[in-house]
Parts: sequence; structure tokens; C-alpha cells
Amino acid sequence: MTETTGFSGHVDEMLETFWELREKNDLSRNSLVREITRDGLDHLESTRFLTWAGDTPVLSEEAEARARDIVRRHRLAERLFRDVLDLSNFEEDACTFEHVISPDVEEALCTFLGHPPTCPHGRPIPKGPCCSALSKKVCPLFSSVAHLEVGSKAKVAFLKGSHVDKLTHMGLGPGSTVRLIQKRPSVVIQVEETTLALDHEIAMGVFVKTTS
Amino acid sequence: MHDHEDNVPRGVVDKVVLVGNANVGKSVIFGLLTGKYATVSNYPGTTVEVTHGNLSVAGQKFYLVDTPGTNSLIPASEDEKVTRDILLDDPFHSVIQMADAKNMKRTLMLALQLAEAEVPMILVLNMWDEATERGIETDIRGLEEILGIRVISAIAPQKKGINQIRDALKPPLRSGFRISYDVRIEKLIDELVEVLPDSPLSRRSVALMLLSGATGMTAWLTSHLEEALVKDIETRIDDLQKHFERPLSEVVARARLASVERIYERTVTRTVPSRHPILEVFGRLSTHPLWGLPILAGVLYAIWLFVGDFGAGTLVDLLESVVFEKYLNPWAAAMTSYLPFQFIRDLLVGPYGIITMALTYAIAIILPITVTFFLAFGFLEDSGYLPRLAVMSNRIFNAMGLNGKAVLPMVLGLGCVTMATMTTRILETRRERLITTFLLALAVPCSAQLGVIMGLLSALSYRVTVLWVASVILTLILSGWLASQVVPGTRPSLFLELPPIRRPRFRNIVIKTLGRVEWYLREAVPLFVIGTLILFFLDRFHLLEWLRRAFAPVVVSFLGLPGEATDAFIMGFLRRDYGAAGFFEMFKNGLLTPGQVLVALVTVTLFVPCLANLLMMVKERGVRTALTMLGLIMPFAVLIGGALNFLIKVSGIRL
Repeated sequence: MTETTGFSGHVDEMLETFWELREKNDLSRNSLVREITRDGLDHLESTRFLTWAGDTPVLSEEAEARARDIVRRHRLAERLFRDVLDLSNFEEDACTFEHVISPDVEEALCTFLGHPPTCPHGRPIPKGPCCSALSKKVCPLFSSVAHLEVGSKAKVAFLKGSHVDKLTHMGLGPGSTVRLIQKRPSVVIQVEETTLALDHEIAMGVFVKTTS
Repeated sequence: MHDHEDNVPRGVVDKVVLVGNANVGKSVIFGLLTGKYATVSNYPGTTVEVTHGNLSVAGQKFYLVDTPGTNSLIPASEDEKVTRDILLDDPFHSVIQMADAKNMKRTLMLALQLAEAEVPMILVLNMWDEATERGIETDIRGLEEILGIRVISAIAPQKKGINQIRDALKPPLRSGFRISYDVRIEKLIDELVEVLPDSPLSRRSVALMLLSGATGMTAWLTSHLEEALVKDIETRIDDLQKHFERPLSEVVARARLASVERIYERTVTRTVPSRHPILEVFGRLSTHPLWGLPILAGVLYAIWLFVGDFGAGTLVDLLESVVFEKYLNPWAAAMTSYLPFQFIRDLLVGPYGIITMALTYAIAIILPITVTFFLAFGFLEDSGYLPRLAVMSNRIFNAMGLNGKAVLPMVLGLGCVTMATMTTRILETRRERLITTFLLALAVPCSAQLGVIMGLLSALSYRVTVLWVASVILTLILSGWLASQVVPGTRPSLFLELPPIRRPRFRNIVIKTLGRVEWYLREAVPLFVIGTLILFFLDRFHLLEWLRRAFAPVVVSFLGLPGEATDAFIMGFLRRDYGAAGFFEMFKNGLLTPGQVLVALVTVTLFVPCLANLLMMVKERGVRTALTMLGLIMPFAVLIGGALNFLIKVSGIRL
């Protein structure tokens, strides 16, 4: 496991770099040599992952899919670390994370995050099979409490926005059960025996698990 | 907030501070422990000022301080800051944390912060009966073991738990409970503990307040430490913040909540509740987008029936035409006829006499109205209905640069604008407090004034009432909108706790009303007497005629009122309700047409704030701001009145 991970991890890194260069429109023999070294490029060519159409490097179908997956996992990991776990130095961990998660975990994670379109840096996250299924049935694991059905209850997953402190001091935090009492004219929610009237924007920052 | 002279060591011996979340019954318990009444209502923010009282336990005297409700030692609004500062600035013997047994998570959030502050404390779980009704049971012994302090269950209205609180004061215990935070945070706390100044709260908890960026902490630090050191502390906190994506305050609050959840799991059990479906359904419907409005209309109609019809109609008639006109005034005239001097007779019972004018107005016209209004208002306050208006009115207040929370001081202003001006402290930003203070001074009639106006309007067609309400509300919204454009800043979002709907207790309503009526009598009657004296002397020296002529261009030409209306406006300078009462009399004597009544009432409603309110404005907002507001309000009132007069004439509307 460790051996293969080490080796494939190396190829994965190179494919990821390739993807990023292509996003920046900076794809050339020079930039590839600069970023992944001469040896790295030789390795990709010898495994037929990369071929040349004139001056333009092209990935094989298999390598393209692999690059796509790795970029996707990396950026999903970034979202997870930043949005849910509140880490600011997440880059390194995201790099490790991208290599160790299985397709199942990846799909669950993507759904968990609500199929985010971009990473925290604003670059697009390649869509996976779960994201395409989105058009058939929208069922993100999380949604804002303001999107619940009136009268229904849900468990809080995480809070965002500028009022997290105040909500926390009201006893509302991950794990507490909230009930949406009404949406208009103002949002009214109930946590334990506390009833709170909130502006829509604050309610939008309270994320709940949608599946029981 | 250094309005009391505590010498430093005294506090440690006998000062007990009552703290807790908003609306948990601190003031009720305060009353029970000290025998002193503090205003009690069913909405958060009734107490915005600190109240003191004495209490003795087995021969030892204590000095109890009631504080505004707070959710955290990291304040979010001015009233919360008051509580934090009391704890931070002056030494004290111990803290009694009052809590709502229904809301144990919030209770524990605050309890853990007090535990961190290492203060000797007692935790009182009030509303134990309501918690039981809702199927919430807290393991008191378990909680005492975890926190290491005395925990007491209480039901304030039934006086249960009061003796246990007294017993627990000798001696209260310090909690040994500590939360462990992220290692990086702990490291900085350790560093800060070395350099922070002493205060009644532990250095660890002060360090955490600093990390959480609590308001006013920098000022506090600067007054205790050298500037370079303060700068250094700030830099270190900023550096630590760089390691976290979220604000440190959130990281700290989360760690606390995690501890709270663990304690909650171990001590609180919930079973199927037995509820009060009717009250709960009423609570739901009162904020319902569809049913909320008819309920509001019903509530307003009921108040109108009680205050306008019964108070301003039946009771005023009884007092004025029977008690005063048939008995009191003739009797006073008969008594004074033995007095040798015509001058003194006029002073007491003449057309501008103290008995015939000041007391007739104050007691016969305004008092019954004030009493009925405060009874109705007290009922609403205690029912928990008032904060629900915030939900319904949020949008409208948004247009005025405020949010629905501002409805509380506004509605309170209908009781007494002066008290309401103080209640603006529950608002979070200076901007909101400024706008609300201005609107209160301009367009919110207090109960006394409202009552007189209602009495007058009830004698006219409902169209006059509708036009008066519409003019005042339009002015309110328009000037609020203008103010929000002029005053810089942004509108904070609505974040307000709605208390449960409760059946009001008759006793509390009566006590509260008596207190307020007494306050009214002390406040208003002397002013009425002074106003009458001023009128009397002006009349005596023929200055009144002169004033009427001088103001004729404004009063007669611009507002289209008879010259005598000047008298009412002069009285209005002292109190707007006194001015309104003047118009009431003029109308009764057939001096005003319905159209003139409308113009006069709108003008006097918007007219200068009363003396007490002006003083409160100076106290809360500063002299300059208060005077600026006064300078804006007067011409504005006359302008609106004049515009209305013009519109009535041009449209030829029949009222």
C-alpha cells in the first residue's frame, strides 16, 4: 500500500500540476519542465499518459480522468477544511487528503458540502457523478434552516456568518435541534425552549442536516 | 457606570450581583430577596439600569445588585456591557446566576464563563414548574457535582427556592470547572495571565474576553496597563487570529458550547411534555404572516375600548363633570370666597387656577386615562405579546434604518417616552439608538397624551382618528427614513428572543401600574402647576394677549387655529399631554372644528418632547445631540401641522 501510494502519488501530483497549468493557459514544454521536472515529464511520456499533438501536450483518456479526480478531491478537501473545520492553513492537509479518500468518500463529501462549484480560491471543482445526479434529485446533505419546511425540525450541522457568537451563546450549535416556525415576515426558529426571531440572512447561516 | 460610591473593600464583604440571561426573572427574585419592587415584564430588556437593594441573611447584611440580562460576559449591546463592567470593575462578595430551567444550554454557557472567572457563585434554576410542564428535568445533584457549586431550583411567583438562595450565600463556592481550548489559544492565555492586571474576575477569563474581542476591553486595559504593553497584547492576539479562519471569539464560543453539550447530556433529561396548547397556539398565530395582522387589529381594538371608550369616556366624564364640576370646583370656590384677596382666589379657582385648571387636567382628564392605559399596557407586557410585534414590523423598521427590535422602545414610548428613551439601550448600535431616540421624541405620543387624544377623537367621526393615525405614522416613517439616510452606518440584522406567551398575573400588573401612576403624579402634576402659574401670570400682566398676537401668523394663519390655541401650545412646551388637554377643553367649549382638532392634535403630537424626556435625552445622547433634535422637532411639527391645514382646506374634505 505504502509503496504504490508513494509512486501513484507522485504521478497524481504531476497530473494535478498539469491540470492547473492548463487552467492558467500556461501549458507548454517549458512550463511542464519547470513545474514537474524533466524526469517527471519523461515518466508521463513513457507511460503514455501524455502525448504531444504538435506543441500541445495531451493527456490520455485514463490520465485525464485521473487528473480530474485528483483535482476534484483536492478542492473538495479544501472546502471541507476551510468551511466546516475552520482551518486557515489547510493547503498541506488538502494535498495529503486528496490521495487517501476513496470514490465513495469523495461522493459523500461532495454531497455533504452541497456540491460546491468552486474551491475556496475560486477555481472550479470538476463535477463528479453525484453532481450530475443533482439535476434528477436535489438532495444536499445540508441546507439552511431557512429552507426547511415550516414546522419541521432538523439537527444543526454548522453555523456560518457574522452572528455565530450570538447564536452559540443562545445554546445553538452543531448538534442542537432547531425547528422552523415561520419564514415570513421574519424567520422564527426554536432551539430548546428558546424562540428566536431572525433576519433572513442570519437564518441562512444556520446549516442543518436534511436527512434524518 | 460609577453612579454609586462603593469603597473598594466593602464590596467584597457584602455586594452580591444578580446576573443571568434576559427574561429569566432576575427582577422577580430581586424583589423577593430585598422586598423592593423592580419592574417586571415578560420580555427581554425590561431592566436596562442597575437596581440596588438590601438583604440580610442570618444577621449578615448584603447589598444586592440587579443587572440587565446578558447571554455572555462578551457583551453584544450596551445593556449587556453594563453587566460585564459591574463584574469587571468593582469587587464583590459573590454572584447569583439566575437561569431559566427550560433553557439549560444557555444557562450553562453563562455558568461556565462565570466558573472560568472563578467567582464565588450560586446557580438558581428558576421557572422550574414551566420546565417540568415541558418535560425538562435537570439532575441538580449531578450538576452540583460537575460544577462544584450550589445549584437551587426555584419558582419565583410561588416564592419557592428563596430561602435556599439565602442559605447558599453563606458561603458561596467557586466552581473548579475549566474548559480546555485549542493548544494555541491555551498558550496565549498562559502568556497573558502573566501580564494582565488584577480584577474581580480571574485573569484567565479576562484573557478570554480579550481574545474574543469584547467591546470596551481595550479601554479597560489602557486604564490599567502601560500603552506599550497593551499594544503588545493586541499584536499577540492579532497574530494568534492569523492561525484561524474564523474569528477567535467563535472558536472560543464553540469550545464552550462543546463543554456545555457534554454537561447537558449528563444532567438534563427530556420527556414528552404536557403543554399549554392555547397559549402556544396564540403565540404562533400572533407572528403568523396571515393571522398576525387580524390579531394585532384585535389587540388594538381591545385597548381602544378599554382606554379610549372606558377610560377617556366614562371615567373622565365621571371625574370631570361630576366630581370636579359639580362638587370639587364649586366647593373650592365656596371655600376660597372666604379668602380676603381676589388675587389668591383667582390663582386657585380662576380660569387659570391651580385647582380649576392644573388639578382638573391632571386628575380628572389625564389620570383615569393613564391608569387604564398602564393597566392594558401592563397586561400586554406580561403576556409576552410585545416582542412578537418585532417579527411583524421588521420590514417597516428596515425602511427606517432599524430592525424589528426597535419596536420595543417604540411601543414602550406609548407608555412613557422618557422610560422608552432609556430602553433604547437594548439596541445594538449607536446609530439605532440615535434614530430611535429621535423618533420617540418626535412622533410617539405617551400614554397621557395618547389618552387625551383618544378622548378627544372618540367624540369625533372615525375619519379624524384615521387621518390622525395616518399623519403621525407617515411622519414617523418618513422622518425615520430621512434619519437613516443622514446618520452614517448600516442596519444590523434582527436577532431577538421571543419569550413564551404567559397568562399575566393580575398582582404584578396592579403593582406595576401603581408604580407608574405614582411616577406620573410626581412627574406631571408639579409641571402642570408650574404651567398653570405661567399662564396665570401671563394672563394677569396681559402678556397672554400679546403672545397670542405675536404668534397669530403661525397659530392662526399657518395652522388655521383660533388664537386661544396659543395657550395650549405654551402648556405643550412643558408637557405635550398638557397641551393636548388644553385642546380637549377648547373642543368641549366649542372653540374648535373637527378639522382644527386634527391639525392641533397632529401638531401637538409631534411637538417638543416633555421636560423629563429632554433631560433623559441629554443623559443618554449628550447635550448637543439632544438640543439638535429639539431644534429639528419644533419647526418640523409646525410644518407638518401647516401642511395638513393646507391639505384640508384645498381638498375641502368634510370631517
